[in-house]
Amino acid sequence: MSTERVAKVFFAEAIARALGEAMARDPRVVILGQDVGRFGGPYREFAGLHARFGDERVRDMPVAEASMVGVGVGAAAAGLRPLVSITYMDFVMLGLDPLVNYGAKLRYKTGGQLTAPVVVKCTAGAKGQGVAHSQSLESWLVGVAGLKVVAPSTPADAYGLMVAGLADGGPVVYVDHKRLFPTAGELAEAPAPVPIGRACVRRSGRDVTIATHSYMCRVADAAADRLAADGIMGEIVDLRTLWPLDISTVAASVAKTGALVTLEEGQIACGIGTEVAFRVREEIGRMRVLRLGAARAPVSGNPRLEAATLPRPDDVVAGVRRLLDAKADER
Amino acid sequence: MDRRALLASMLAIRAFEEALARHPDAGFQLFSSGEEAVAVGVCAALGPHDQLLSSGRSIGPALARGLDPGVVMAELLGRATGPCKGKGGRGHLAQPAAGFFGAHAVVGGNLTIAAGVALAMQMQRTGGIVACIFGDGACGSGALHETLNIAALWKLPLLLVCDDNGWSISTPREAALAPRSPADLAAPFGIRAASVDGMDVIAVRDAATALTKHVRGGAGPAFLACDAERFSTHSTATRETRSREAMEAARARCPIRRLAQSMRDEGGLREDALATLERDAADAAASALRFAERSPPTDIDEIRRDVD
Amino acid sequence: MIYALAVPGPIDDVEELRVLQWHGEPGTRFEAGEMIVELETHKAVVEVRAERPGVLRAILCPAGDWQAVGRTLALIGDDDMEPLPPPDAAGARFDVAFEVT
Repeated sequence: MSTERVAKVFFAEAIARALGEAMARDPRVVILGQDVGRFGGPYREFAGLHARFGDERVRDMPVAEASMVGVGVGAAAAGLRPLVSITYMDFVMLGLDPLVNYGAKLRYKTGGQLTAPVVVKCTAGAKGQGVAHSQSLESWLVGVAGLKVVAPSTPADAYGLMVAGLADGGPVVYVDHKRLFPTAGELAEAPAPVPIGRACVRRSGRDVTIATHSYMCRVADAAADRLAADGIMGEIVDLRTLWPLDISTVAASVAKTGALVTLEEGQIACGIGTEVAFRVREEIGRMRVLRLGAARAPVSGNPRLEAATLPRPDDVVAGVRRLLDAKADER
Repeated sequence: MDRRALLASMLAIRAFEEALARHPDAGFQLFSSGEEAVAVGVCAALGPHDQLLSSGRSIGPALARGLDPGVVMAELLGRATGPCKGKGGRGHLAQPAAGFFGAHAVVGGNLTIAAGVALAMQMQRTGGIVACIFGDGACGSGALHETLNIAALWKLPLLLVCDDNGWSISTPREAALAPRSPADLAAPFGIRAASVDGMDVIAVRDAATALTKHVRGGAGPAFLACDAERFSTHSTATRETRSREAMEAARARCPIRRLAQSMRDEGGLREDALATLERDAADAAASALRFAERSPPTDIDEIRRDVD
Repeated sequence: MIYALAVPGPIDDVEELRVLQWHGEPGTRFEAGEMIVELETHKAVVEVRAERPGVLRAILCPAGDWQAVGRTLALIGDDDMEPLPPPDAAGARFDVAFEVT
């Protein structure tokens, strides 16, 4: 029985704790972005940091994501360890040139002379804010050689992956989710490290593997509750890192269950699930697989349309049933 | 930097590019010929703690900053002995240990980066400043606006140098930029600016020195617009758009001939001295080329190195 | 009578809250309008005030504990003397006003 002390914290508090500890330990860690200073972050994820570390290390920037990312990446190359905060993942698009063409390629193009140890944090997901403030674009980034992408689903992982991201040679894109901020979870006083590139099994089961990440882990969990009532035991694998993917954890699960459902809030086309499914198949051979994600449409802020566009627990339940009912060799 | 050193530096760039241009493996290049005075004049105002960034037109800036011509040539010719192990080429040439933080081939792509480097140096209190050379072709980009804004807000130790050769490949500056001079872009942000004849290395040096003094004092960024001419096409992959007359007029402003003439007029350069200096430059370029040619090509396994 | 002081709601976008600070202890009498307890959501503080007089009799969720909307935080009585029932037996809700700040 573990005697370690744990406390229940909000998702944002876990992020603030990770940053506060890193900034106290390492004077090179700075925060740059929108509403990061006195405001404490759009979700209070930087609460208290400006008061502790001041204007020099916690800097509000104008709403101009190209310069947020460019300044962050340039400062990282020159010796700082910045966290760049982009409020909406949608607007990481505006910073793609410095992120992809400079940050991700810097080590390679300079033959190792320069690196960019920067964490670009952005909040994905739909929560009533309309077509341009709702996107989950992780799958766009995993194809960029030189970039790492992480997506915590719990406060413990929000803390652990932030710690890991800030210590990494970078660049790391840290994707959290609007709907995770109201949630709470346990965080130990002396947490075990969460390495980049390691998935985890959130829930054990023998009948189907649901490989997913971020807020969709909670949708999967609600679906698993409903399936369990009918005797179908779902195993949920939380990917946690989207690049590099921990395929062996997913593959080990699918080797046991024989069926894989990939679940993401983003688009299925060339999505995270496509990559996971193909690579699991490469490891274990033929298997039943179904990809679930958003409908192919922008995500309206109209709440009824939004809800119908994105995967809900019942959609996951229906998908699992469809998959398990189909003949084993057909998929 | 005295006049002889300025002259020698410009001659070195000219000769280097002439040697490179003749080489069958030269590949895709952007030449600085004609624009040497901008890089040389700016570098004359930089010290060992400063960092220089440039656009893809990097040969002039790299050599003016003092990088060894042999390793620069090696990088351009894809050899393992280049500072980037031959993986960056001209567009991404870099040697930060020598004060050349690097070239970046994306038009305007190095601007916000330079602001970030300046932020780091400001926080590290090294006393160093950052100079970033970019073309007039980058002046229409939002990246410049964002860089000017943040540099002014945070009083970053940043000297922005517009190497204005009047062309965005085939589009003349007048059709690409509404303000009459690139330096006009600085005023709305309260940034100190100067415009100089970019073919007059003494004027560039003096203006750069004055502006770097302003920047070093912690007063914030500065902007130097240099009116220059490129003597070649935009790149080896682009067609020439200028008329023969326009090309002749451009070449008549040659910064090397101009400095040599003014030195002769003042009695500081003997008749045969320029020929000697030109020969020395050609010899150095040939030596650089020999070093590069004798260097092993970049190992194919380098594809997998330095990625993550 | 003994009442249940429950986490008030609904509060938009909030499922569970952390108890921040009790403004009294067992035996404290509250008049209408006085603050009994402050709760913390992921983005705001909720001030819970008595809508009529009452005496705080037992704190079931001390500061630092978590509780969901609608669940019991404490027992409130009309006086200080009536014996307490088992915690889950407290019936009526104690009327409070709450403000999200």
